[in-house]
Amino acid sequence: MSQDPLRYFRVEARELVDQISAGVLDLDQQPGPDLVARLLRFAHTLKGAARVVRQQEIADRAHAFEEVLVPHRSGGEPLPADEMRELLRLNDEIEERVAALEPQRPKPDPPPRFPPGMTPGGASPSPGLRAPGDRGPEPGRAAERGVEAGTEAGGGPPAGGAVPGNGRHDSGTRTGSARQHRDESSRPSGQQDGGELRTEHQPAEGPAPRIDGGRTVAGRPEADRSTPATGRPRDSNGPGSEPAATPPVPVDKPDHRDREAGNDPGHAKSEEAAKTPSHPDAAPAARGSTADVDELLDAVGEAHARFAPLRTGGHALDQLTRSAEALADQLRVGRTAAHTDAARVVAARLAADLGALGRRITDTVEQVERELDEVRGRAERLRLVSASSIFTGLHRAVRDAADAQGKRVRFEGRGGELRLDPQVLALANNALLHVVRNSVAHGIEPDRDRLAAGKPVEGRVIVEVERRGRYVAFRCTDDGRGFDLAAVRRTAEARGLLMRGGTPPDEQTLVELVLRGGISTSPTVTEVAGRGIGLDVARDVADQLGGDVSVRTEAGRGAVVELVLPLALMSMHGLILEAAGTVATVPLDSVRTCVRLLPEQAAAAAVTGKMAHDGEAVPFLPLARALYAGTTVPDGGGPTVAVIVGTEERAVAVGVDRLAGTSTLVVRPLPDLAPAASVIGGVSMDLDGNPRLVLDAQGLIAETYRLGGGGAAPAEPARRLPILVVDDSLTTRMLERSILESAGYEVDLAASGEEGLDMARSRQYGLYLTDIDMPGIDGFTFVAETRADPELSGVPAILVSSRASAEDRQRGVAVGASAYVVKGEFNQEELLAHIRRLVPA
Amino acid sequence: MSPNDVKNRLTELRDDFDRSFAEPARQHDAEYAELLAIRAGGRPYALRLAQASGVHSDRPVTPLPGPQAALLGVAGFSGAIVPVYDLAALLGHPAPERPRWLVVAAGAPPLALAFHDLDGHVRVPTSTIVDEASGNAGRDVLRGMVPLPGGIRPIVDLLSARAVVHQLTGHTTYNTEER
Repeated sequence: MSQDPLRYFRVEARELVDQISAGVLDLDQQPGPDLVARLLRFAHTLKGAARVVRQQEIADRAHAFEEVLVPHRSGGEPLPADEMRELLRLNDEIEERVAALEPQRPKPDPPPRFPPGMTPGGASPSPGLRAPGDRGPEPGRAAERGVEAGTEAGGGPPAGGAVPGNGRHDSGTRTGSARQHRDESSRPSGQQDGGELRTEHQPAEGPAPRIDGGRTVAGRPEADRSTPATGRPRDSNGPGSEPAATPPVPVDKPDHRDREAGNDPGHAKSEEAAKTPSHPDAAPAARGSTADVDELLDAVGEAHARFAPLRTGGHALDQLTRSAEALADQLRVGRTAAHTDAARVVAARLAADLGALGRRITDTVEQVERELDEVRGRAERLRLVSASSIFTGLHRAVRDAADAQGKRVRFEGRGGELRLDPQVLALANNALLHVVRNSVAHGIEPDRDRLAAGKPVEGRVIVEVERRGRYVAFRCTDDGRGFDLAAVRRTAEARGLLMRGGTPPDEQTLVELVLRGGISTSPTVTEVAGRGIGLDVARDVADQLGGDVSVRTEAGRGAVVELVLPLALMSMHGLILEAAGTVATVPLDSVRTCVRLLPEQAAAAAVTGKMAHDGEAVPFLPLARALYAGTTVPDGGGPTVAVIVGTEERAVAVGVDRLAGTSTLVVRPLPDLAPAASVIGGVSMDLDGNPRLVLDAQGLIAETYRLGGGGAAPAEPARRLPILVVDDSLTTRMLERSILESAGYEVDLAASGEEGLDMARSRQYGLYLTDIDMPGIDGFTFVAETRADPELSGVPAILVSSRASAEDRQRGVAVGASAYVVKGEFNQEELLAHIRRLVPA
Repeated sequence: MSPNDVKNRLTELRDDFDRSFAEPARQHDAEYAELLAIRAGGRPYALRLAQASGVHSDRPVTPLPGPQAALLGVAGFSGAIVPVYDLAALLGHPAPERPRWLVVAAGAPPLALAFHDLDGHVRVPTSTIVDEASGNAGRDVLRGMVPLPGGIRPIVDLLSARAVVHQLTGHTTYNTEER
């Protein structure tokens, strides 16, 4: 690679092309001499660099680009449309040629399908999840890229600030490379497959069990991580996989839906563009911006600096050792009182110095840990991409569609600072491209219609990105004419999808029809493809990721298409909280403020379930109660700080023992098989690789209202004791367990009277539910024995039996059973009614 | 020992040695099962190592508030977040002590079961294992028994344990044919 003369040019050219692409679109919307000057600088730099590496075609086009711009250096007026088109054409050609310099890449995996309701990624991100139009990563280049971007390319791009890269060439590279590195480094060297025992090479691991002749039993970290999480073999890990695994594919195919789009000139154009590397269907960049890398480097530097006291600690230790030796000498020779006094003084000083050094080391370690946490957070953040990276491509799609139809449309992207999993972003991007094109083609009216409707001639298409708990919402709003629902209805009736002359379908039904695809709202088939085509791509993406698409439309006012996708990975800033020994993080953007609580305030808040804040009574929830729901809260200091967590509508005060700073962290979804209370929004990894809970603001608010609704909270959290089911029949045990568990009880099972007695004595239960006929101790005896035990006699017992005779019932009463349920007449509601009566919630 | 005995013994050993190469090695695995002798909630069990992808001790488990009493929390394994269930609770006899051992069940999605003590690792001829087509009279997580020094131990079937957890959590993608 070091012999490759284009190595640095590629990096520089990509940066410049990204900046030019974004700049041209900005120029279209906000012409001005500054922007022209900047674009001229980019083009000029590119021209010079291209000549050095003999890329004459690129140099010529950069020159032509300059020629177009030079006359507009001083004026602030918009460029004529033909010149604007020429700039875009040159931009595309340059982009295409720069992309052609890239080494060929392997074909990416097709995106896996997730069943509805399942979020992708599971315990680990799904690296193979890619957009259909994504042309995949450059294996082995990402790390190199990072270095280049940070060093060599630093001098390349001229001033002008970092324009968010739209770099459609390298989606996922960073992610892939990060995974690859982790995979490689943590893969045990001598691993093999089959049923052999494995050795785990993890220093952080607890002592590996050595058993049976010194053989070691341990885990397979790579199996823990990759295979079970995604169900796919390592090779499909995507970006980081060996390139040899799949043959390279030179260009991607345009989305077939584009072809279906028919004669729409806008679509035709984009289809043509789709064959070139500049086509906007490509995925967003996973390239970290220079600022991110700088922040990471700062954090590394800071962590490094924090080690200084440990280094000087070495000298301090030497001195202390010498003092201790001197003291030892004094004690050996000293016999007089003066000697003893002197030794005592030395000893006292030694103890003080040792204490000081110890404190310094403790502080330093704490600080270093905090800094490393920050480093980790920032490094993980580099795996994510800012949402703004898709805006340039969307803007271009809007512009092209508008240009093709002779409309003027302004594009606006909002919420671009949100950082997301590149795979989710790539899929959303793919759907949004269709949605924004359709907004222009079908939503925005021609000039005269807009004027007639009293709207500004220039239409607007706004794409907003926003985080909603574990989801991200992409909202595309236009101020056009809205959906032509009457046309949808006519088409649907013509195709027999709706009964002609039936009850008029409501708006939602019609929108659903559009979402399902195949229905065009366009008045003429030749001019445009229907809205349905874009929307069913969005529908596909949502289905694939377990998300949702919704449409709101208002005739004459515009339409809003919203795509909500679950997040597999998400970066955020969090406030670290401690409550009753548990550490959790709450998203900083949901924290309004923090208030110190005096002990009496805390006590009052806990009793009344509310506290005064900003002249309002805010519901109060001690975090420990939410975290230890249903179990005993371990002793802690009690809340000393109230964290005011709120959304736009509601706020609650969450009582915590301590605030432990803020941190940048990457939130992962809870794994499958780990259902959690709504207060938990996800999990992050701490420095030691242990999961740390991330709270969900919405969940906290809901839980606060549920537990107290602002009213008085019980001093002791309400907890229901578990129920012990004693029955020798597996079927009955399982049946009873399922009934009780679905009614919200915790259930323990015992298969015999003996076992039941053991368990009754080892745990506190709220109720015993026992069969009568069992080998060994029968149900009557079980009840009688528990009645005889003063510790257990308070726990009610219900007999469940197939015996229905009055005699047996009487015997049940006699031994002290609280109720008697006959299996033959087994009635779930009756049983639950007995239990509710006996075990108050 | 007479010289003749030595000679016979030598021949015997030589034959054994030669035969060890002649015999197909795979019979080895088929005839033996690797088991872990464990204790959950104070009771002895065994589990098949072939059904596990790792055994760990003293791994921090982050408690997770939620509806499943048997779910102790989540633990981190090389970057993956794995739910940890209390084996004793799944077997129906939860104990107050926190288990210190984790066995990661093979298969997906990730799942670990916690048990209290590890008695040892044993390799037993498969013929000594008492197989059962379906769950024995006790619990449906158990499948078969094995006589080991100290007594007969029921075998915890990790596939069945996984199925129980899937059922508890309403996880539907589990393919019951695996059982």
